[in-house]
Amino acid sequence: MTAIPLILLIEDDAQTRRFLKTSLTHRGWSTIKADCGKSGLAMLNSEHPDLVILDLGLPDMDGIAVTRRLRQLSDLPILILSARSQEQNKILALDAGADDYLTKPFGSGELHARLQALMRRVARSRSNLEVFETGLLKVDLTRRKVFVADNEVRITPIEYRLLGILIRHAGVVVTHRQLLQEVWGAEHIHDQHYLRIYMGQLRHKLEVNPARPRYLLTEVGVGYRMAIDDTDIE
Amino acid sequence: MKLSGVFGSSPNLARNERFIGHAWGLAAPFICTLIDWPLRDLLGPASILMTYLLGVFLVASRYGRSASIVASLLSAPTFAFYFARPIFSFAISDLENIVGLAVMIIVANVTGSLLEKSRLQAELAKQRESHTNALYRLSRDLSAAQDHNAVARIAAEHIDNEFGTDSVLLIADTENGLQIQTNQVLPVSLHNIDLALAQGAFEKGEVRQQHPLSYYPLHGSSAVQGVLTILQTEALVRQSPEVNTFCHLIAQTLERFQLAAQAREANLQAETEALRNALLSSISHDLRTPLTRIIGAVGTAIENDAGLSAMERQELNQSVLEEAQRMSELTGKILDMARLSSGQIILHRSWNAIEEIVGSALNRLDKHLQDRPVRTLLPDSLPLLWIDAVLMEQVLVNLIENAVKYTSPGSPIDIEAIALPKRFRLSITDYGPGIAKHQQTRIFEKFYRGATETQQNGVGLGLALCKAIVEAHGGLIQADNRAGKGAEFSIELPLHAPPLLAESEALGSVA
Repeated sequence: MTAIPLILLIEDDAQTRRFLKTSLTHRGWSTIKADCGKSGLAMLNSEHPDLVILDLGLPDMDGIAVTRRLRQLSDLPILILSARSQEQNKILALDAGADDYLTKPFGSGELHARLQALMRRVARSRSNLEVFETGLLKVDLTRRKVFVADNEVRITPIEYRLLGILIRHAGVVVTHRQLLQEVWGAEHIHDQHYLRIYMGQLRHKLEVNPARPRYLLTEVGVGYRMAIDDTDIE
Repeated sequence: MKLSGVFGSSPNLARNERFIGHAWGLAAPFICTLIDWPLRDLLGPASILMTYLLGVFLVASRYGRSASIVASLLSAPTFAFYFARPIFSFAISDLENIVGLAVMIIVANVTGSLLEKSRLQAELAKQRESHTNALYRLSRDLSAAQDHNAVARIAAEHIDNEFGTDSVLLIADTENGLQIQTNQVLPVSLHNIDLALAQGAFEKGEVRQQHPLSYYPLHGSSAVQGVLTILQTEALVRQSPEVNTFCHLIAQTLERFQLAAQAREANLQAETEALRNALLSSISHDLRTPLTRIIGAVGTAIENDAGLSAMERQELNQSVLEEAQRMSELTGKILDMARLSSGQIILHRSWNAIEEIVGSALNRLDKHLQDRPVRTLLPDSLPLLWIDAVLMEQVLVNLIENAVKYTSPGSPIDIEAIALPKRFRLSITDYGPGIAKHQQTRIFEKFYRGATETQQNGVGLGLALCKAIVEAHGGLIQADNRAGKGAEFSIELPLHAPPLLAESEALGSVA
């Protein structure tokens, strides 16, 4: 990875591109811009970016098709920008391999937090993380032990598998489909009630107030997200 | 009582009757002869002639004219042969006897035809009565009918009862043309129904025939409402006026439905129009206010760029951001409302835990809530709900946002859920001034706001949205006041049979 991470910005609206570029540059990212899916995919090969920001509403190609193509070509993180009317497409794009999403309109603070989480996830997957910590929650990944405020919490194998996946993607949304497929297998990808029940149990074991969780956040209609501390740096 | 029985739809029976009549016509003169023969010395020819006349009269009264003519024609030679002098010869010498015989033949004819006429009239009266009854029953049943299916069923039943034949009703539908109603089972005899012919009858408004089916158009007062297809029978041909009356009654009923639907449509249009006007005035006010502030702030910043302190610039920027966010929220709500009220709400239902939806809603409102105490009382035993989570989260966000908006900063909000038998109830209670009794239902109307001119932003769409979403789920939303607290908004949703977990997990922790 280069010292300054390079972001490929695929967005057809010129104004949005300009404001994103300004904001990203100020936050210490360098950017290259594409105004349609085809040129974006071409730049992926020529410029070797570290991360892609992809607008779902492109003039030339379906955002989901672009996501799929990007995934075939590389495993770099993809952040999706979607409008409210693209609710269903957003989930399809995530299931097609995008890593996270932002709904328009969004603030630059939010954008920055998402990008940080994505970069951190990449770093984490390269180094072998031994202990994951956020707030009072501590998970010892080598010894497979979970602590809340230094007290060990006993959790079941399925709960641990769920927790493990969310930690691997910490700060980034994981869709229902991804979780169901990884924990229960492809034949259960529609059994959302499994998730509800086991995530409920996990929340009750790990959260101080399960109705207002601080670690295991719900993205209604999309999936779950493990919260990370803002100070957590790779 | 069937008309068919009266009018002899079964010709065998009538033929049988006629045969018996003629047999009696033949037998009567011989019976009279047998009775009179031993008495021939006691009685004069006039008296004997009277017994023959009685025989003829009895046959006429029972079997009508043709049988009585047979009897009278046979009586004449029998009387002449056995009783009129010279005996055992067909010759008659007495003028008296000739007159007697002539009178007898005339009397037989006249009484026969008189009796037959009165019998026919009685039958006609009976038939008319039965027909009137049939029409009365049909109109009574039709007036109780609530939809096309009911009309189709009633029509088929009554036609079978009254005419003893199969039929099917094709009702004109503005979108799909002539339609057989969904609840109708097409009788086997009508399987070769020709829809093109029915269409022809419908368009031209004329009866179409193609053996063995007839297609009767149903004339309403303004338009043809449909087509009645009947399996023709021999008897039915003579009853076409009755069939027409049936068709008329059915057409009137269909027309009644059409008029009712038109009235509803007109009502809806008026309502939509009123709504559109309210929306326009409301939106133009609520969108212009933040726009005015944004333009003002940005204009100030540009014009006085050099003269502004960093602090002032920050303030202007902050206000632009806030107003833009407000507009974003507002447009979101307007779009949601447009989507929801543009017809049917499409629910993407799945099994969801209310705890997650409450958690997510609170998370989304973090900024609004700040340090307000939010007390959640969600029992562990709550069942999963079969709901559209995205929409239901929107309901909670709107309700909690309202609670924040209409109560003083720092006052608590309670969120409480409970599973009742077959229902689930969630309430959001605040500690504010509550809602006046007369407003408790009105606040769910579109564009209604608690206080008329208020500082509060929003078009009064939030609660209307909540109502639309909750009702789409088959639920109920209500506003009330709680003693010692403030306003309480409650949602009740029907519970669905929960799914089963296919696999069980061994208990125990990961060691």
